[in-house]
Amino acid sequence: MTTKQYDLVVVGSGPAGSTTAYFAAQAGLRVLLVDKRQELGAPIQCSGAISRHGLTSVGIEIDAEYIHQPIYGFRILNEEGLEKRIDYRQLKPTEYGEAEDQVPLGYVVDRRRFDRYLMRRAERAGVDVWLKTEGLGYESRGAAGCTVKVKRFDEEIEIQAKVLVGADGLQSQVGRWAGMQTHIRINELASCLQFIVDRVEAEPLLEIVTGHEWAPGGYAWVFPKGEGYAEIGLGVIPTMTDHDARWHVDHFMRSSFFKERFADARILEVQGGGVPLAAPLRQQYADNLILVGDAARHVNPITGGGLHTAVSAGEIAGTFLAELINNGVSPLASELKGYQDRWYEAMGRQMWRLYETKSEIFRIKDIPERNRQLYATMSEYFSPDSQYKKI
Amino acid sequence: MSNKIPVLFSIGWNACINCGACVAICPQEAGFISPFDTIAVDRPCDIACLLCEDICPVSTITHQQISLSGQGTEITTPGTPS
Ligand SMILES: Cc1cc2nc3c(=O)[nH]c(=O)nc-3n(C[C@H](O)[C@H](O)[C@H](O)COP(=O)(O)OP(=O)(O)OC[C@H]3O[C@@H](n4cnc5c(N)ncnc54)[C@H](O)[C@@H]3O)c2cc1C
Ligand code: SF4
Repeated sequence: MTTKQYDLVVVGSGPAGSTTAYFAAQAGLRVLLVDKRQELGAPIQCSGAISRHGLTSVGIEIDAEYIHQPIYGFRILNEEGLEKRIDYRQLKPTEYGEAEDQVPLGYVVDRRRFDRYLMRRAERAGVDVWLKTEGLGYESRGAAGCTVKVKRFDEEIEIQAKVLVGADGLQSQVGRWAGMQTHIRINELASCLQFIVDRVEAEPLLEIVTGHEWAPGGYAWVFPKGEGYAEIGLGVIPTMTDHDARWHVDHFMRSSFFKERFADARILEVQGGGVPLAAPLRQQYADNLILVGDAARHVNPITGGGLHTAVSAGEIAGTFLAELINNGVSPLASELKGYQDRWYEAMGRQMWRLYETKSEIFRIKDIPERNRQLYATMSEYFSPDSQYKKI
Repeated sequence: MSNKIPVLFSIGWNACINCGACVAICPQEAGFISPFDTIAVDRPCDIACLLCEDICPVSTITHQQISLSGQGTEITTPGTPS
């Protein structure tokens, strides 16, 4: 067995892990980033919508390498197909549009390319990256650091590190290694399925379709995917329906007010996954360990969006850990709490507020009233003058 | 939720999209996973909450109840997908 030494080992090279690794390496730490996959981002478990601000705020350059499609706003629809159009090209023409001196509001990215791009950014900042490397476990040695066990192309390797960063997504095992309370309730995990399709027209807007009939507990979406393709998907809460997500996508495509629009759809890809519509983890750190991104449930409980929150939390985590380690502070739980405190101030407080809003809506027993509230909240959320601070 | 009788899960690999939702909902300790981002199918689950079957977007997880009698594991009743 080989042994190696690093300041940080980051398990998982999704947006959260690679961004944490990048900022830590920028600040001088020796970082190892591992991912069990052979191709990052694949199989895709994401629709890829992220605001432009979400990218630029953490210094990610806008690059055609990973962009499928620029986005200029939203169409929020209710169960009957009544829509609220929130087109930023009309609402804020001085900023948003297709012209030279205007910018898009956001993008639909290709997660394969996006994850690879962010990993490459970390790699060029000095991070060592190992693919086909699965994190197997860790042992805390307190102030002395920790030992992380990984398997790389069938070889077991032990790494000595000061801190282990669990950025291993929603299926996170790293938190469980430390015996942390990571369990999510079935009524707060949306089961999602989406198709990439040909022959469905879509404007450069994110369409969000609310209504219990189409997506009980969640919502349905139609996103433009570039090349004239579109993405049709939805998420449902299993306790609110007798059917699975696949049945609901079928029902939405055949029976909704969009049935003529979808009549000719040809499926090019099938993707899915779980989206937590839950509160973030109450505790996101242990001795020599922190969790970032989906692993810590850094997901917007209203929209289910977790890309912006993952990269923002990654910046906070990477910067915080560099300060800690460069100052020679022992990476015990009591000190790593500072990471969560900083994250809470930057976005955690707001996520809990959104969680309360979401919970209030889904506590409503009367379905038409719940439909009305969800439609109103979604419409409000994406408006330029929204009371909700965007995360 | 738990029916206490251990179960052995089976996954229809033809339908599975390797999305990991079953692992995310699973209350087991670390390591109850397969190499394909799913819950483990090579050993019994003693919690048997069956939440993985509920969360699966393509309903491709089924189970058989097993009893630990005499020498080793024995499948007693064929399970039905919920
Ligand atoms: C259907 C669907 C649609 C979505 N659409 C959107 C959207 O439009 N916009 C948005 O903002 N968010 C969306 N999300 C949410 C978004 O995909 C996640 O929040 C985001 O991917 C979280 O990033 P992450 O880096 O925390 O985790 P992940 O992207 O899940 O990355 C985790 C990484 O860890 C690796 N890994 C796991 N375990 C190990 C291990 N033991 N050893 C080594 N590596 C390991 C994995 O291979 C993976 O590369 C969607 C989710 C789903 C399911
Ligand atoms: S939830 Fe279903 S589709 Fe997803 S990985 Fe598990 S078995 Fe496969």
